[in-house]
Amino acid sequence: MIALRLVRLLVVLLVVTFLSFLLLSLLPGDPTTQILGLSASEEAREQLRRELNLDDPLFTRYLSWLGGLATGDLGASYTTSVPVTEALAERLPVTLELLIAAQLVALGLAVPIGVAAARRAGRPLDQALTALSFGLLSTPVFVLGVLLILVFAVKLQVLPATGWTSISVDLGWNLTSVLLPAITLGCAQTAVYARLLRTDLIATLQEDYITLARARGLSPRRILWRHALRPSAISLITAIGLNLGALIGGAVIIETLFGLPGVGRLIVESIFARDYLTVQGGVVLISVGYVLVNFAVDLVYVAVDPRIRRA
Amino acid sequence: MAGSGNAHLRPPGEVVLRVEDLVVEFPAGRGRSVHAVSGVSFDVARGETLGIVGESGCGKSTTARALMQMPPPLRGSVRLDGLELTALRGEALRRTRRRLQMIFQDPISSLNPRRRVRDIVAEGPRVWGAGADRVDEMLTAVGLDPATAATRRPHEFSGGQCQRVSIARALVLDPEIVICDEPVSALDVSVQAQILALLEELKERYRLTLVFIAHDLAVVKNVSDRILVMYLGKVCELASGDALVERPAHPYTRALLASIPRGGLGLPPADQLISGEPPSPVTPPSGCRFRTRCPAATPLCAAEEPVMRRIGTDHWVACHHPQETGEILKPVEAPQVARAPEAAFPQPAEEAEDARVPKSPKVPKVPKVR
Amino acid sequence: MRRRLGWSFWLALGWITLILAAAATADLLPLPRYDETLVGPPQAGPGPDHPFGTDGLGRDVLSRVVYGARVSLIVGIGAVLLGVLFGAPLGVLAGYRRRATDAVIMGVNDIALAFPALVFALAVVAFAGASLLNVLIVLGVLGVPAWVRLVRGATMVFSEREFVAAARVLGARDRTVLWREVVPNVSLPVLSYAFIGMAVAIVAEGSLAFLGLSVQAPTPTWGGLINEGRPLMEDAPHVVLIPSFVMFLTVLAFNLIGDRLRALTDVRQSNLEPVRRRQADRLPARPHHVEEDVLLQVADLRTHFTTARGAVRAVDGVSFTLQRGRTLAIVGESGSGKSMLIRSVLGLTPEAGTRRGGRVYLDGQDLTELDDEQMRHILGTRMAAVFQDPMTALNPVRTIGTQVMEPLMVHLGMKRKAARARAAELLASVGIPEPARILRRYPHQLSGGMRQRVTIAMALSCGPDILFADEPTTALDVTVQDQVLRLIRRQREERHMAVVLVSHDLSVVAEWSDEVIVMYAGKVVERGPADSLFERTRMPYTEALLRAVPKLTDPAHHPLRLLPGRPPDLAHPPSGCAFHPRCPYARERCSQEEPPLFQAETLDHLYACWYPVGTGAGVVETSPELSGASGTAEALKAAEEAAELEEAAEAAEVVAEAAAELETTDVIEGADSRGR
Repeated sequence: MIALRLVRLLVVLLVVTFLSFLLLSLLPGDPTTQILGLSASEEAREQLRRELNLDDPLFTRYLSWLGGLATGDLGASYTTSVPVTEALAERLPVTLELLIAAQLVALGLAVPIGVAAARRAGRPLDQALTALSFGLLSTPVFVLGVLLILVFAVKLQVLPATGWTSISVDLGWNLTSVLLPAITLGCAQTAVYARLLRTDLIATLQEDYITLARARGLSPRRILWRHALRPSAISLITAIGLNLGALIGGAVIIETLFGLPGVGRLIVESIFARDYLTVQGGVVLISVGYVLVNFAVDLVYVAVDPRIRRA
Repeated sequence: MAGSGNAHLRPPGEVVLRVEDLVVEFPAGRGRSVHAVSGVSFDVARGETLGIVGESGCGKSTTARALMQMPPPLRGSVRLDGLELTALRGEALRRTRRRLQMIFQDPISSLNPRRRVRDIVAEGPRVWGAGADRVDEMLTAVGLDPATAATRRPHEFSGGQCQRVSIARALVLDPEIVICDEPVSALDVSVQAQILALLEELKERYRLTLVFIAHDLAVVKNVSDRILVMYLGKVCELASGDALVERPAHPYTRALLASIPRGGLGLPPADQLISGEPPSPVTPPSGCRFRTRCPAATPLCAAEEPVMRRIGTDHWVACHHPQETGEILKPVEAPQVARAPEAAFPQPAEEAEDARVPKSPKVPKVPKVR
Repeated sequence: MRRRLGWSFWLALGWITLILAAAATADLLPLPRYDETLVGPPQAGPGPDHPFGTDGLGRDVLSRVVYGARVSLIVGIGAVLLGVLFGAPLGVLAGYRRRATDAVIMGVNDIALAFPALVFALAVVAFAGASLLNVLIVLGVLGVPAWVRLVRGATMVFSEREFVAAARVLGARDRTVLWREVVPNVSLPVLSYAFIGMAVAIVAEGSLAFLGLSVQAPTPTWGGLINEGRPLMEDAPHVVLIPSFVMFLTVLAFNLIGDRLRALTDVRQSNLEPVRRRQADRLPARPHHVEEDVLLQVADLRTHFTTARGAVRAVDGVSFTLQRGRTLAIVGESGSGKSMLIRSVLGLTPEAGTRRGGRVYLDGQDLTELDDEQMRHILGTRMAAVFQDPMTALNPVRTIGTQVMEPLMVHLGMKRKAARARAAELLASVGIPEPARILRRYPHQLSGGMRQRVTIAMALSCGPDILFADEPTTALDVTVQDQVLRLIRRQREERHMAVVLVSHDLSVVAEWSDEVIVMYAGKVVERGPADSLFERTRMPYTEALLRAVPKLTDPAHHPLRLLPGRPPDLAHPPSGCAFHPRCPYARERCSQEEPPLFQAETLDHLYACWYPVGTGAGVVETSPELSGASGTAEALKAAEEAAELEEAAEAAEVVAEAAAELETTDVIEGADSRGR
């Protein structure tokens, strides 16, 4: 099982990194323009290309990069000469903190909303909550972010609009700087999570074992939280997994909007700078993250629903 | 039980469908497999109804699918009028399918919800490029109004009516054999009787040959000429409905009958005839597959698999220690032996041993003593 | 198909039509050009000249929003079409073919999903330029894996349905099966997801535009407008807010349409589910006499639902009593209200749209007067239930131990250790081998019979006075059924409790119960001691049911007595006696007046029929004048139950004659000899 997973991880990693290598090589322009500036002579560029091994055939370059990857060396940025691993290590905590905080916000809102709506399915509270989540679902995350900035940073001036304070510098400032981005990202996901949970909970509450739990004289609260919630969580877990997997490199909108130095922005900047090695490093990080998150989700499935133990 | 052997098969010329040593297995992960059907043999004569009865997991529905080659069996032979179906592939198989039709258990699920009922019945003729002239006749024959059927979709019909549509769909192609897989189990009692009566009526009218699969022995007996009892992928007993109910020989058949409430058959309580849970079809017991639950099991049952043998007029059983049937068999060369009327249960092994009867295809019918 | 799309659907459709029309005819509309600067004062708020105001360069915001809609809609719709074009065939193929095809397609799909979408989008846009077409292609391609997965899932669901097997049995080619059976069914879910996909694509395009990676200026895009407006947020918020709002409405509209279409595919709705909750106003109870010395008395119990198809009287005036140590069976076909009856007795009816009436007395205590908390105590300790399908009766994600121990800890206040020991004893008492090991198992690891034993053990855990068993063996094999019913009887005897057994199977009822209630369309149509009811059947429905069941003792091909028609539509039950349309003996009166419960000659045997079987009443038409014989004691009792006086008199006559005639005749033979 574990061995099979590792093989899959390796296959995914090989294919994905090769494809991105190929894709990047198709881009017009190369790092020399960025490093030497537009005015540099063609000879100087040729010289630099040789130094950077950019004149080797694509496949040779890929193999040598792969060799580096095997030893944990992802190379150094063409433009800043910072080792790629270092650059990623610097950016990853920002993205991770954002994602985790956003999931906390999303679940903290979605579970009560979903549960409340499911318990009163079809009644006014449910309809109001359903409408609310529909509205949230239809608000693009950058629109929501702009609105929140408008309200909290511009009008009320209680939270900073942009900027990042590392957790190692000051915990309080760190939390303030992550709050607005996390709420923005979290709210957008709240809608999805709450709707999934509501639908599954309504289905679960109609199951025989719930009616029988009522017939055993158990209190509604106990039935809801101990009997119904766990069997209703599968879709929710799937959605969380998909989100985490996609957002490791895809929280770029939030990072741009709030000026956070995260992985997503690093990749975007690196592509514009034709900084292939940094982009490649980002690609490795994202695909490994994606596979790991999937693996973790499968583990959680088993913990939540013992029926999924095989396959 | 759980026997193999082909002693009970009739000469190929007399039957329209002949199934020999059918084996179906499904992968169960980790290199193991589910032994769903393990060496089942039977035949069906033209115009006859063969009932197949057994509990869940006995392989009766899998057998039905294997007859249709959906999917084809792992091993064994299915011959329709002498044509070996398991050897057919692709187009040849497709062309043969229309000769075997099937009626499914779930009347709702077996009809496409997006199509009108008349179109569903007309699909067969359409596939084969035949005219739809029989469609209305068939709809009327199953008790539906063709005009209504032309405009309505399945969800506008009740379960019983949907099953009528299924029957019309199967019969419109004029098949040689119709396989009914639990056709009435999902229906209410009153509707079930209507469908059974309809099947009997249509069988007369169109001279159908039926394989009728169900878990309810009383239902099977009502429509069948002969009944095959299955357990865990094997055949236990084959007999006419009356013989099976009046003189059940296989311990499993007896347990099945005794479990039926108000069976009124003078059998001991079911809990004395069967114990425990059915074993896993992934690791079936050695020898006789029923031995783990059988009160009469002996070491022989674990060591050797019983084969089908004759114990009465067209009455066959796969058991080392079958219950006396009370019927006197006159083997062709052996002298007539009178049998004690109902022996006490469980049957001692030695006594059962001499109940063996030489296999002989043609045994004169002898009146039973009782 | 046309049902219940709802006003929100049409409103959403209207909005999308409006936006589409505006975008398509933008050049013809009396609007300034989107890129014409200083058509008005910069940063002017909405006004008569510029309904949406102007931006920082004095451009008309309305015009820019309308032109921006072009990009959003073309990309949104186009990307989905592209995704479906490539994703749907692959998904159908993977879902229908399975095996190797599926493995290959899904393997590639997995890798595609692992590829960072952002890198792909950026690279393509950087390589090929941020034209409308390129953005559309990027978003379309990025959507393909999701479409493959979705269509494959839907295809698999339908490929497993028997109608696909049926089409193959007919000899249809794979291609025909796919096109005629699978694709039409998959297309509705795909259509609904297409609208949701368009919403997603519009947002995605907006995000790219927001990052400056979509169609470049001067062409306006919604995401671009919002991005451009950000610096003006303080001074001219409308520049940001208006495009944001338009975008929000459009995305909402697409989502709504998709959601409503998806609701259409929900096959679970039969239109008989209770609709919207109304505070459970109680139906008035008719006066009744509270019996003493009975364990359970149900008096005039009624449960009515409001459904989309009208009011349904699922349980309509049911009364009975039950003594300790007895088994009462409730029989009927589907829709007879038998399951709803016991749920009503237990107070477990769905809250939504339900109205309940009548009384339930347990040892003389009126349970309908209790509040939820008090009722929970009764349910946990004095009345217990077992349901039909042991597969669904246990919580799949909790161990057997947790579930069996729970009532012990909640109701009896046991500590964990004591509860575990008691649970093991309970399991042993219902014949489960190695109870300590089973306690650690999950339900799916047990067989159906074992699971039903576990649910029985749970029901018995707090020593109930009454066990309600709703079709406890219907999902089980016949040999297991025998074991389970035997177990229930043994427990009843050991614990001296009463059992209410709901079943559709008359032979089960005949074998395992003492008293029987036959239900039809929510009403009791016959009720009495089991032997009397089965041997001296009065109600034609009971008789018909008995004869419709094949018997083992009948010879093969024995013709069954047919009961024509089918159980009534509960939303529109027939007038008078609900059984009259199917009854071979029905006459005019049956369709007009509802028969009350009459007393048969056996004590406690009641039936609801004007012309009962085996009494001679059925041949009344030959002797229009009934004798004016005075009623027997039973007849008088029956008369009491009749709602109206006239009916009562008539009832008494019928009963009297019945009693007289029956003393000597064998009922069933008698009925037959009359040529019915």
